[in-house]
Amino acid sequence: MVAAAFSSLITMETEEAQIATGLRRRDPDVLDALLEQYQHRLLRYLAHMTGNRATAEDLFQETWIRVLEKGHQYDGKSRFATWLMTIAHNVAIDHLRKRNPASLDEMRDTEDAAPFEPLATGLSPFEHAAAAEEKARIQAALDELPAIFREVLVLRFQEQMKLEEIAELVGIPLATVKTRLYRGVRALRPTLGGDAL
Amino acid sequence: MNGNQHDRAIDLLLRRDVEGIADADARWLEMHLQECEECASFDRAMSGAAHAVRAVTVMASAALVESTRVRVHVRAQQLREQQARTMLIAVSFCLGVVTSTLTAWVWWEFGGWVADRLGLPSGIVEPGVLLFWLLPAIVIAVLMVTCPPTLFEGSLIERYMKDRLRGMQ
Repeated sequence: MVAAAFSSLITMETEEAQIATGLRRRDPDVLDALLEQYQHRLLRYLAHMTGNRATAEDLFQETWIRVLEKGHQYDGKSRFATWLMTIAHNVAIDHLRKRNPASLDEMRDTEDAAPFEPLATGLSPFEHAAAAEEKARIQAALDELPAIFREVLVLRFQEQMKLEEIAELVGIPLATVKTRLYRGVRALRPTLGGDAL
Repeated sequence: MNGNQHDRAIDLLLRRDVEGIADADARWLEMHLQECEECASFDRAMSGAAHAVRAVTVMASAALVESTRVRVHVRAQQLREQQARTMLIAVSFCLGVVTSTLTAWVWWEFGGWVADRLGLPSGIVEPGVLLFWLLPAIVIAVLMVTCPPTLFEGSLIERYMKDRLRGMQ
């Protein structure tokens, strides 16, 4: 309902410009609509980054507070999703620095790691078990990847971001994004069983 | 087949799904993949990695979204109140500076006239006017130092903002 109301607001301006205006005004309706629209994507990104559901939820809230506080900095020229993920990236980095001032490779929380939510319901018990097993295997494979590769893989394959957007978001050169993507794919291959995926 | 061709193939593979590649590049890539097992293997690995990453489902719960919404709204209200307060203080300060500057001469003359009427020595005019001028600030400073901080919480502005927000709902 909120999303529908929000989309009806978009008449003359582009969506991004409309969002920028709303964020400058700290318009609660715009914030609600954005929260509704990006909730799963943002949590998914943070969960991949931290590997811990509880931490990801804390950072999820922190990210939205920061979106509110820094909303005036969003100019509407870039995609909002990229800007939001940049905020989330910085929140996650800050979290890492507070916990352990080391590299991004050590970003995942190892203590009290809660499992991700189960896949969609409506499956038979056998299918559910098989899906859960497959998911656990994939999760384990992703877990073994250093976070710098995992982050690029998630942004590329799950968020469908352009290479240039990833470079801007993570704050690295385009060539480094390509290298991380290439190395991430290669690193994941043996764990997932080579070409047999 | 040289290294440049492999590099070009990998670059095109990395760009193919999201950015898209030109038809001519796509045809060249298809031919290259038929001939080069190494690049074809990377292509399959990339599809596998994409499948693996997308297979991990994480959904935000309604409770998380709702609690985030509440936190964001509370913080938004705090920021609005803070902004209104800052604005009011700035305006008050500017008005104070302007009125003080404009009326300084009047008060000076008035102090001299009062001293003259009461038969006080003219030397008392300067400290008298100064004291009169600084008196409100001194009183507030003494109150702030001596009184508990809770006295200054829940200010009139805050109450005004809350009433206004309540009226808007």
